[in-house]
Amino acid sequence: MTAVACHNLEFGRTMLDFLACGCSSNASFDRFSVRSYAKGAVRNVNRGYKPRKLVCFQPEIGPQTKTPEALLTAVTADTPQVLDLKKELRSPASLTNLFEVVAEDLQTLNKNLQSIVGAENPVLMSAAEQIFGAGGKRMRPALVFLVSRATAEIVGLKELTKEHRRLAEIIEMIHTASLIHDDVLDESDMRRGKETLHQLYGTRVAVLAGDFMFAQSSWYLANLENLEVIKLISQVIKDFASGEIKQASSLFDCDVQLEEYLIKSYYKTASLISASTKGASIFSGVNSYISEQMYQYGKNFGLSFQIVDDILDFTQSAEQLGKPAGSDLANGNLTAPVIFALKKEARLRDIIESEFCDTGSLEEAIEIVKRCGGIHRAQDLAREKANLAVQNLQCLPLNSFRIALEELVKYNLERIK
Amino acid sequence: MMSITCHNLEFARRGLEFLAYGSSSNASLERISVKDCAKGMLRTVNGGYKGRKLWCCRRDIGPCRVFSTNTPEVLVNARPPPVLDLNHESRSPASLTNLFEVVAEDLQTLNKNLQSIVGAENPVLMSAAEQIFGAGGKRTRPALVFLVSRATAEIIGFRELTKEHRRLAEIIEMIHTASLIHDDVLDESDMRRGKETVHQLYGTRVAVLAGDFMFAQSSWYLANLENLEVIKLISQVIKDFASGEIKQASSLFDCDVQLDEYLLKSYYKTASLIAASTKGAAIFSGVDSEISEQMYQYGKNFGLSFQVVDDILDFTQSAEDLGKPSASDLAKGNLTAPVIFALEKETKLRDIIESEFCESGSLEKAVDIIESCGGIDKARELAKSKAELALENLQCLPLSSFRFSLEEMVKNNLERIR
Repeated sequence: MTAVACHNLEFGRTMLDFLACGCSSNASFDRFSVRSYAKGAVRNVNRGYKPRKLVCFQPEIGPQTKTPEALLTAVTADTPQVLDLKKELRSPASLTNLFEVVAEDLQTLNKNLQSIVGAENPVLMSAAEQIFGAGGKRMRPALVFLVSRATAEIVGLKELTKEHRRLAEIIEMIHTASLIHDDVLDESDMRRGKETLHQLYGTRVAVLAGDFMFAQSSWYLANLENLEVIKLISQVIKDFASGEIKQASSLFDCDVQLEEYLIKSYYKTASLISASTKGASIFSGVNSYISEQMYQYGKNFGLSFQIVDDILDFTQSAEQLGKPAGSDLANGNLTAPVIFALKKEARLRDIIESEFCDTGSLEEAIEIVKRCGGIHRAQDLAREKANLAVQNLQCLPLNSFRIALEELVKYNLERIK
Repeated sequence: MMSITCHNLEFARRGLEFLAYGSSSNASLERISVKDCAKGMLRTVNGGYKGRKLWCCRRDIGPCRVFSTNTPEVLVNARPPPVLDLNHESRSPASLTNLFEVVAEDLQTLNKNLQSIVGAENPVLMSAAEQIFGAGGKRTRPALVFLVSRATAEIIGFRELTKEHRRLAEIIEMIHTASLIHDDVLDESDMRRGKETVHQLYGTRVAVLAGDFMFAQSSWYLANLENLEVIKLISQVIKDFASGEIKQASSLFDCDVQLDEYLLKSYYKTASLIAASTKGAAIFSGVDSEISEQMYQYGKNFGLSFQVVDDILDFTQSAEDLGKPSASDLAKGNLTAPVIFALEKETKLRDIIESEFCESGSLEKAVDIIESCGGIDKARELAKSKAELALENLQCLPLSSFRFSLEEMVKNNLERIR
């Protein structure tokens, strides 16, 4: 395990995926052994930097990465009624079930992504294997394929076009690039203190790799030669940046409103998903009403997804999450449960504004959030968005693809039952 | 001065230019006062990070560094160049300003637009925007866009620049700035060996975000230009930037590097954007493809010449002139034209480089070898040959003050290494 993970020095997400698949949840690497092994691998990459980069087990890198842990423990904690899951089933298996109908499309995608990233430069080759090797959930590309196939039926398209496939690749590259850049930010968080040079090395490669993938996706996007889709996806990349900045500039701001939180969640998560679903239907050639419904589906599902993620940050134990519980809150990122709780309990504001300088204050805050119904109201919000998403699917013919799209919405809610 | 540079925590380029304008060359910011000043401003930016970012005065931020920020020092101390008439006190901005005189208004409008594009998004970026795009930048790339736009517009009989021309210039400058900001992330790490982790953290985060934001904005504006040819042209550039950085990072201290690879890397990192700027400008002027292609070649050849000159200056200027240790490219293992030429002649150099300068004095020794065996001279020849090609590429343009400025830019660049 350690041997494989060594190639993965800079890409926390796939390490997480890997671990989620087969070992105990709270994994962390033995620094020394990774370091010595890494020396060889890293030497070629960047000899100018004497220290070697290490990556601590990094679960907190976005909605996608929490899901393995979350679903893993959700399975053991409650037996969901909707899907037939056994205790041993890992989440990848159940999502795999949902994505069964587009399994081949996803396989082809994985291969293509590896060669796109790896072909550029031998340095990225091993990174590419890790980034795009087996283990990723590929939720966003799956959505592209599902919507592509669901809408293709309407116009009588028999096979996916190469534009469909390329769109899915672009989407996954953008998503991965944003995670890699998030890693730059988060990993700094997890390295308080002395490991500067390690950070240096990790930061450089992470920034470069993220930039490279953004650049690649922009280039492929341009070469799709569809102005509507080009504008759609460019908007997403702009939204990503806006969302990050919005979040960074409103940390610990107890005046944040639900509206702002939803906009931020849209920018950071739902925007890409809705551009994926809409783009897929554009390439299917369906009319604009259906494209718009697909956009709304992506948006509502995306919001529901993010809200569930935000709830889990409170409700799961540190062991399940693989990181301290309430880390959003600890960082000052005030999400739905907190926003609802703030309306009820004035004391929470004081604690948050103190930025948890007193020991035990974070735990107290979490208690308050739970006690005054913040979690419940957030669950309602997630369900509300989910219902809207399911409604948006009404315009599609009944087929296995539409069902999978519906099931995905419900599956997401299962995480917080 | 202190209060102004405090806003400039994350954007060293501006900080340096500011300092270059009015103070002694080897400036570095007094940490305590910047920190205190920063506390107020930073609080709103990112309450979650207890550490405050400090910015040392930084010179090493990419190809532009010499051109935009060092040239003031260089021209002050060097012999007056024969071609251009400069006094001891005049700064290069004055001479570039002369060259750009013919498009001065265009540049002013650009500055205003850039500030509002960046600032409008978010109050946090507002003060950053003032610094990034405030007075002081050289705006070489946008100037090139305007010069080529106007030079080619004349062929078609255009009287005014189109809004596409202006937007293209803004996009180009945003991309350039975004790449510098990301370079800052890499370089600043270099300069912070040791304990300032939280400070690095803060600087890194904002730098990555700001760079991403600007790349994103430029992509969006690009898409909304709705010209597929230009969209593809510029997307290629962004791809080239990333490729160039990776190429460089993966061939540090590699003494087998060939001149071709060096030129390719220089193309990716510098000339690609310039070539796309000049070609894009021609496309929006609606001239025929042959002229567009000549404008592309001009941008490419000038860009390469520019980069080679930069690389020479890294060796020939004193630490004081450069504002950073001399030969820092070499120190990091980035082997540029002078080194590549020298390696062909002197095998001892290879050993020293491959040792990665672990012995003290070895870097100085390497620099001596490079100079004594003519590496600098050969690089100078290379810069001149690219410059000549660039001048030829301008032949297809009608004689005008704009074409003249484009020629002068090429010559002005060579003056830096006389």
